[in-house]
Amino acid sequence: MNDQAGNETTDRRPAPRRHTLLWISLAALGVSICVLRVAAAAQTGDASAAEAARSLWQTVGIWVAALMTLGIFSFLFKDNPLYKVCESILIGVSAAYWMVYAFWSTLVPQLFAKLSPTLVREHVMPSLAISATPTQDFLLSLVPLVLGGMLLWRLAPKGQWISVWPIAMIIGVTAGLRITSALESDFLAQIAATMKPLVAFTSSVDAAGVEIRSFDFWGSVSGVVGVVGVLSVLTYFLFSVEHKGAVGKTARLGIWFLMITFGGAFGLTVMGRITLLAQRFEFLFREWLGIA
Amino acid sequence: MTNEAQTTKARGFIGVLTRLDRRWIFLAMGLSIAVPILLKLRFPEYPGPMAKATFNAIEAVPEGSTILISFDYDPASAAELQPMASALVHHCASRRLKMVFTALWPLGKQQADRTIETVLKPFHPEYKEGVDYVQLGFQAGNEGVIKLLATNLPKQYPNDASGEAIENLPLLEGVEDLGAFKLIASVSAGYPGAKEWVLYGNGAMPDAFSVVAGSTGVQVGQLLPYYPQQLEGILVAVKGAAEYETLVEEKYPAPDSTVIGQGRVRMGPQLVAHLLMIGLIILGNVAMIAGRPRGGAR
Amino acid sequence: MMQRTIPIAILCLSGTIMVAAYFLSFAQSWGETVTTWFNILAAVALVLGAGNLIAVNLEKISSQRAGWGYAAITLGSFAFMLVVGLLKVGAVPDPKHPGVAFAGSYESAASPFGWMYEYVMSPLTATMFAMLAFYVASAAFRAFRAKNVESILLLGTAFIVLLAQTAAGMFLTGWIPEDSAFAFLRLDHIKTGIMNHVQTAGMRAIMIGIALGIVAMSLRLILGIDRSYLSKN
Repeated sequence: MNDQAGNETTDRRPAPRRHTLLWISLAALGVSICVLRVAAAAQTGDASAAEAARSLWQTVGIWVAALMTLGIFSFLFKDNPLYKVCESILIGVSAAYWMVYAFWSTLVPQLFAKLSPTLVREHVMPSLAISATPTQDFLLSLVPLVLGGMLLWRLAPKGQWISVWPIAMIIGVTAGLRITSALESDFLAQIAATMKPLVAFTSSVDAAGVEIRSFDFWGSVSGVVGVVGVLSVLTYFLFSVEHKGAVGKTARLGIWFLMITFGGAFGLTVMGRITLLAQRFEFLFREWLGIA
Repeated sequence: MTNEAQTTKARGFIGVLTRLDRRWIFLAMGLSIAVPILLKLRFPEYPGPMAKATFNAIEAVPEGSTILISFDYDPASAAELQPMASALVHHCASRRLKMVFTALWPLGKQQADRTIETVLKPFHPEYKEGVDYVQLGFQAGNEGVIKLLATNLPKQYPNDASGEAIENLPLLEGVEDLGAFKLIASVSAGYPGAKEWVLYGNGAMPDAFSVVAGSTGVQVGQLLPYYPQQLEGILVAVKGAAEYETLVEEKYPAPDSTVIGQGRVRMGPQLVAHLLMIGLIILGNVAMIAGRPRGGAR
Repeated sequence: MMQRTIPIAILCLSGTIMVAAYFLSFAQSWGETVTTWFNILAAVALVLGAGNLIAVNLEKISSQRAGWGYAAITLGSFAFMLVVGLLKVGAVPDPKHPGVAFAGSYESAASPFGWMYEYVMSPLTATMFAMLAFYVASAAFRAFRAKNVESILLLGTAFIVLLAQTAAGMFLTGWIPEDSAFAFLRLDHIKTGIMNHVQTAGMRAIMIGIALGIVAMSLRLILGIDRSYLSKN
């Protein structure tokens, strides 16, 4: 074929690169070993047919999980087709999983069971309790049914404003819930917990049964550190006031508290991530390769 | 040679550090975890005050009482939290406590099922579903679930996870609300989780039951303010799990220590990986300091 | 009116009902009903998301854009998982009601859906998160620089916590008796002190700030000041 300038170009497919061949070879080797181990598992003489079938699927499953784990890890070396395949599978499977879960766990018991309880009891949930107010349940369920249909209109090429009604309801409910919960748990509860005594005492009873109060040094330090820390960090977050003079110094102290907070959080986060990685390695070594 | 040339032409070890391909760091991290696992590196665990408090809180619950365990995490956090959950269930079953399992996270129910299959059924075969334990499953609604449980449990869970009506379950006969439980344990990875149990469960019924929690390291900062008044005990990350396992194993040895021992197993790689992290930070700073131009403008 | 007034009214009404349900006992049942509607709409939103996924990937396949093969894999795995899940293919029958077609559990590992969750979704999700450990290590080497007091504080705290959480902490300072006057120098005590006091204080202030932000934003939405969610059409 010719290019735009009319010069002849060769239409040869480029030779497969070395690392592509390496991946293909590894995959073929893995599949071969997989088939051999599956066949060996299926031929377990003393297992019943059901047991053999179960262990066959478990073996296949472990191999699938292991190869996909390695596929994801391969991204650390370089982006490659195996990683992209695993990523695509994860996206598809996750989306479907949540959709199925939403259908059976929410839509069926909370919507369809109210719209048509007899049908649901007959075919899906035989233990579904008989409602004392079926008509009210039915009428109230029409609202989310209609709103749910309107929400799906978002996929239509025209009239997407129809989906704004249910979106507005979702946002409104979330906002209403979060106002009260945020104020209660993250505002009032935290302020109350900060109000510890700055001069703390411990109580003990002596042999005569007399209560003795003694100064609690570390308890007092805890109270002072808590109050000073919260106030200084909040001062730092006050961006409508210029951070100069006393405000500036307090804000600086707040930054130091934040840095210590983040340092501690970093240490704990590292521990969590390493644990996740250790678990994957344990799976590969123990369950897949059978070593360690 | 100009200062600029000095910095760009860093040689030797410092040069290697400055130009280090991050894949070598990935390899180092991988080896720092793989090798301890293969060598089965283990270290003794010395339970800290929070793990001891959690253990003692469960020890204080009278035998035969009913407790609630909430699985508020998903597979992404299972590496840290599953060891806690397994040890918790084994501990409670060893104390002959009756258990009700719930989940505030959708995938928490699967984690609860897994714990039942790997810990409760094999180690405590005398436990019968419906009589000694009930799996209520997941309910959407976040803290709304807890609020309703605090006032009307049967309304929130008319059926258990298998579809059986609540009134048919002997364990939950006559149970109206959370006041029927002596202890609530939440193994949580975030929102909704232990914090919500403290605020809406313990908040609604302050003296009715104790609350203990297992948390990931990332989330524990939000729970610390509630310890020890509202939260009697907290297990912090896999370290907390390992410490708690040590306490449980000492008093109630499990038939299979590979199941109740995952936390301690995972602490081996932690040491090497943490030392690697510290080493990397130090090396990075050494490279920065050594790579600075001498005496010139920065 | 249909595109602006009614959505604003819906938002205002639903938000007000949720706030009222918190304070007024007679409004509690309204709040529970609205919450149920919300849960149903959240479930439908997942259907919407799946529909969007199908549309985007189908468009990629039909236009034969680069990487369309991966879109086909996404759709194929999605379709398989959806069919076996929605139709409960191979689901273990409910032992109490074996004759009821859809009463079985689709989640058990013996069913194809459960198998896919156990051996595909769960390990892939966990592995994706596990990758973070590598990136944290790389970031620690490249980005953590002790250039000023603040960064030294952060790194110093990180070192203390990293050491105290492992056997290294006991090795370095475990020899200091717990009941001695110098017990506060033990790494585990320092770590506990940092977590229980300094970190708690910092987290509290952050949570207070976030709570104020949430309240401000929620009020703006409920009062109709913020209308960014409205369609531009």
